[in-house]
Amino acid sequence: MSATLTPTPPTPKPRPTPSKRASTALPRPPALNIDPSALIAQHASLAGPHPILVAANVVLHPHAKISSVHGKVLLGEGVCVAERAVVGVQGGPEVGASIGGVTPPTAGVVVGNGVVIETGAVVEAEEVGEGTVVEGGVRVGRGCDIGRFCTITAASVIPPDTEIPDFTVVYGNGLRRVDTTLKERTDLQEMRLVMHAKQIEVYKKLIPNNVGKWMG
Amino acid sequence: MALPFPYTYYSCDCFDSAAAVPTAKRASHPPPADDEDERTFDPRNPRSNYALYPLEHLLYCEDCRQIRCPRCVLEETLNWFCPSCLFEVPSSMIKSEGNRCTRNCYNCPVCTSSMTVSSLEPPKHPSNDDTGGLAGPFFLCCPYCHWSTLDIGIEFEKHTGITQQLARIKNGGQVVPSLKEREKAREKRHEARDGLAAAREDISVELSDAADPPAQEDVFSNLSSFYKSQLSLGASSHPFSPHHDINFSSPSSFSRIMNLYSSASSKKQKRDKPPPMREASSVAEGLAIHTSSSDHAAIQDLKLRGWDHTLTYSQKNNQLDQSVRFASELRPSPTLLCTKRGKRCRACRHILSKPEPKITSTRYKIKLLASNHIPRLSIRALSASLPLPTVPSSAAQGFDYSHLQPSATIHFLLTVSNPLFEPVRITLATPSTTMGKVKSKVTILCPQFDVGANTDVWDEALSSTPARRGGPSDSSSANSTQVEAGKIWERGRNWTSIILEVVPGIIEQHRGLTFGGDQKYRDDDGLVEDEDVLEIPIFVRIEYESDVAVEDRAPGTESTRPGGKEKREEAFWSVLGVGKIKPLQ
Repeated sequence: MSATLTPTPPTPKPRPTPSKRASTALPRPPALNIDPSALIAQHASLAGPHPILVAANVVLHPHAKISSVHGKVLLGEGVCVAERAVVGVQGGPEVGASIGGVTPPTAGVVVGNGVVIETGAVVEAEEVGEGTVVEGGVRVGRGCDIGRFCTITAASVIPPDTEIPDFTVVYGNGLRRVDTTLKERTDLQEMRLVMHAKQIEVYKKLIPNNVGKWMG
Repeated sequence: MALPFPYTYYSCDCFDSAAAVPTAKRASHPPPADDEDERTFDPRNPRSNYALYPLEHLLYCEDCRQIRCPRCVLEETLNWFCPSCLFEVPSSMIKSEGNRCTRNCYNCPVCTSSMTVSSLEPPKHPSNDDTGGLAGPFFLCCPYCHWSTLDIGIEFEKHTGITQQLARIKNGGQVVPSLKEREKAREKRHEARDGLAAAREDISVELSDAADPPAQEDVFSNLSSFYKSQLSLGASSHPFSPHHDINFSSPSSFSRIMNLYSSASSKKQKRDKPPPMREASSVAEGLAIHTSSSDHAAIQDLKLRGWDHTLTYSQKNNQLDQSVRFASELRPSPTLLCTKRGKRCRACRHILSKPEPKITSTRYKIKLLASNHIPRLSIRALSASLPLPTVPSSAAQGFDYSHLQPSATIHFLLTVSNPLFEPVRITLATPSTTMGKVKSKVTILCPQFDVGANTDVWDEALSSTPARRGGPSDSSSANSTQVEAGKIWERGRNWTSIILEVVPGIIEQHRGLTFGGDQKYRDDDGLVEDEDVLEIPIFVRIEYESDVAVEDRAPGTESTRPGGKEKREEAFWSVLGVGKIKPLQ
């Protein structure tokens, strides 16, 4: 095999590997703003025509997907996006359905500081407040407004355009309760953020960083 | 029935045999069959619902030589354990402490998931000297819905012995006096009240200063101690005190002597004239008086905090004290213990299944499964002729079991496999037409045949003799062979398959007129539910010779020679669920 290849003139391959990757099949976002302290694992993907902002200490696990196809995505400081989780408005029939046939540019997704989005979750919400945890397999519909320090327990489904106030726990089959412990104890809130920061430190030791691919 | 077609159910005749105990001999004498043996099993009988089980659900009693269904086994508790911490709890503890974990296991009162102990202390920097243990106050926290004991104002000093700590803290953090302290306080009050002449005024005094009503366990302990004191008062006034002993028939001295010799008669006399007991008359004695102020407080609470503050029915039900109404009154509920149970035969108390006593082990010491003693009958359509083990779902083979063509002959392949280590002679019997409204004709082409022993798989493979297969030797000729009466279809090491010829009956869907009495059994399309399901009752009789069991061989008897063979017979009804008959177009 190699013998047959040697006579052919070597074709110039300036960047062979990234062009082959599925993650770069979509056009690289024109306004991709990534903080150098962010941790983007090798198979994480950021794609779409709309701007994407990745703030400091963001952790994108392998196979995390940030999609700005239908609107901008802003990831706040210390956001963690786990494997197979998707952040960004997804394409679908509802895009045109909301305003009679005309596809409006959606407001995009704004994810607050220290938000954890666990494995397989799909977050299309307009806003996710600081310190919220979106557990595995959750689907948050578009246009949702999720408050600060909420917990969306695993496999919950939040229908579109839902507003969830601060310190709410969505559990069971759509049950909700206010996390009074966290609401009344600011020290616990701080503790949660401190623990999250420690978690990010550990991630930085464990996950090989591939942020250089997306910079510049 | 829940299983997909085709299925096999085995009938356990424990109810019938219990009803007719003297006649329930094993069928060692087939000709003089009594009524019970004569009767054919009717799968449509409502009672059959409780007698039919899949083979996997059945156990087998080796002593009675009978199938044992969940109805005819006795369960016995082997040990108790906490499902959360997997610690075994001795049964003496169950009697004294109740059936809840007394260690650190608690369930969330809101969502019932098990709670974890967390520290309130901010996490230390790893570079600091590690003392290992956690410090600072602790609290119980639900990892799922995030309810925590901080919501009801409870913190703990240590992370172990939560139960003891929790017992001493009321909601809101107040310390509950221990039982001894309460007893002491009660005695003190008792003495104080004895000094007072009027006990009536005491009630009002105590009620007025009781801003919050006493907890339920306080009321209970007060009341129980009050009754104990009442009983002891009554006892002390009995025979040994001659002044109070006024019996109708005998002088006190006599009764005393009687008491010395026989305690029974004195007890009788005691019951003759019990001393009058009074009821509790104060809070200290366990009197609970309904106060309107508590109602007002509840209404105020509702107004202030709304519906979310109240408990759901199930949350309330999970509480130890079921009189609570509001979220602020919740207590974490200790985890309920689980049991490991053994099963015994109801007739002979022989152990049928016994799990290992170790909590963390899921294995069984003894497990007498029916599938190891009873031949397995499996049925499938002949046209769907693919070997069974390779394709688990027979629906994928193209034969539609839920739409059987009426009045067309369908051949089914009935395979009988033998789990025993002796060759078995099998006799099958079935009524020629099924019961119920839809009469289907059933013919077993070969009702009597042999099934080989369940020998080692290698024996057959290594033996020099070629595979003994009765009918078609390979699959290519399988389709071409004729279905022939009196011949088995195919035979393997420990299995034999025969042909079952079924002609499904015709469902008469639209009758012109339904007669009055018949009407209530029919639904709209003139068919009782599941009437179109074709179930074939089959009576299976097994004969085999086996070694005489050691315990069966009585030492004195000469008739059974040691190591001799013994002829054994077993018989049972089974039901083959073949499919659903398609209505005529």
